[in-house]
Amino acid sequence: MHTVWARANAVFAFSVSVTASVAFACFLTTHVLDNTRPATIGVDKAIVKNLKDFYVDQKKDLGIVHFSLKANLTDVFNWNCKQLFLYLMAEYETPDNKVNQVVLWDKIIRRGENAVLNLRKQSTKYYFFDDGSNLRGREVKLSLHWNVIPNTGYMWMVKPQSHHSFIIPEKYAIRKQ
Amino acid sequence: MFDDISTHMDYKGQMLAEKYLQYIIVAFGVLGFLVGYATELLSHAMVILFVGCIVSSLVTVPPWPMYRRDPIKWLNVREVKADEVVEAAASKKKTTTKSKKR
Repeated sequence: MHTVWARANAVFAFSVSVTASVAFACFLTTHVLDNTRPATIGVDKAIVKNLKDFYVDQKKDLGIVHFSLKANLTDVFNWNCKQLFLYLMAEYETPDNKVNQVVLWDKIIRRGENAVLNLRKQSTKYYFFDDGSNLRGREVKLSLHWNVIPNTGYMWMVKPQSHHSFIIPEKYAIRKQ
Repeated sequence: MFDDISTHMDYKGQMLAEKYLQYIIVAFGVLGFLVGYATELLSHAMVILFVGCIVSSLVTVPPWPMYRRDPIKWLNVREVKADEVVEAAASKKKTTTKSKKR
């Protein structure tokens, strides 16, 4: 502390430490909150076709699903939440694989944007290909998950409160001539 | 040119400067946290803390007169002749060589 440089260095180092503790205090106030919210999912249309996947020379089942989604996520946002990453996941079991999880649709909601979801007859963003040809007559569970991306602290994955089950038809859809 | 500007503080002043530094930054940190929590914006907390760091560096880095109130009391200057200095240096050398011979 005997020269200007020593004092300036002390100011800088101490302010970095205090900044870290303010960020830690911010993390403590928000990471104990419960982030689950109810979401209503419905299925408007579900058909299944058998098509060749892009790079594989084998025909696989492709499910085409149109869904509806209602959720209000405005109070998940707090001073530590930068954005939400939502994804709609389809989960089912086949004789080949015990657990299959396919992400059908996702969305990023930043802080300040509209966080009330009201989708109807929404088509999926990603293809619902099965690992094989086992989708006919299968019971599929749709659930909405989200990740909360904070300003300080770890990112946490929020589990859904409820899920919606629907059954894929037994026969392949035939193209109407 | 910059070497001519004196930037020293005496010891009591340095202690005082360190105290002020820590208290000001912590106070602004707590204030920033409370304001940020109330307004739900983390940027408010960080901006207030940054302002606090600027204030703290303005208060503690330049050598204000309040840090020079307790200067070191040096002994009075005593006039010494040139011969005395040479004798003192020579006697010191003799004692060190004696101890080596043992």
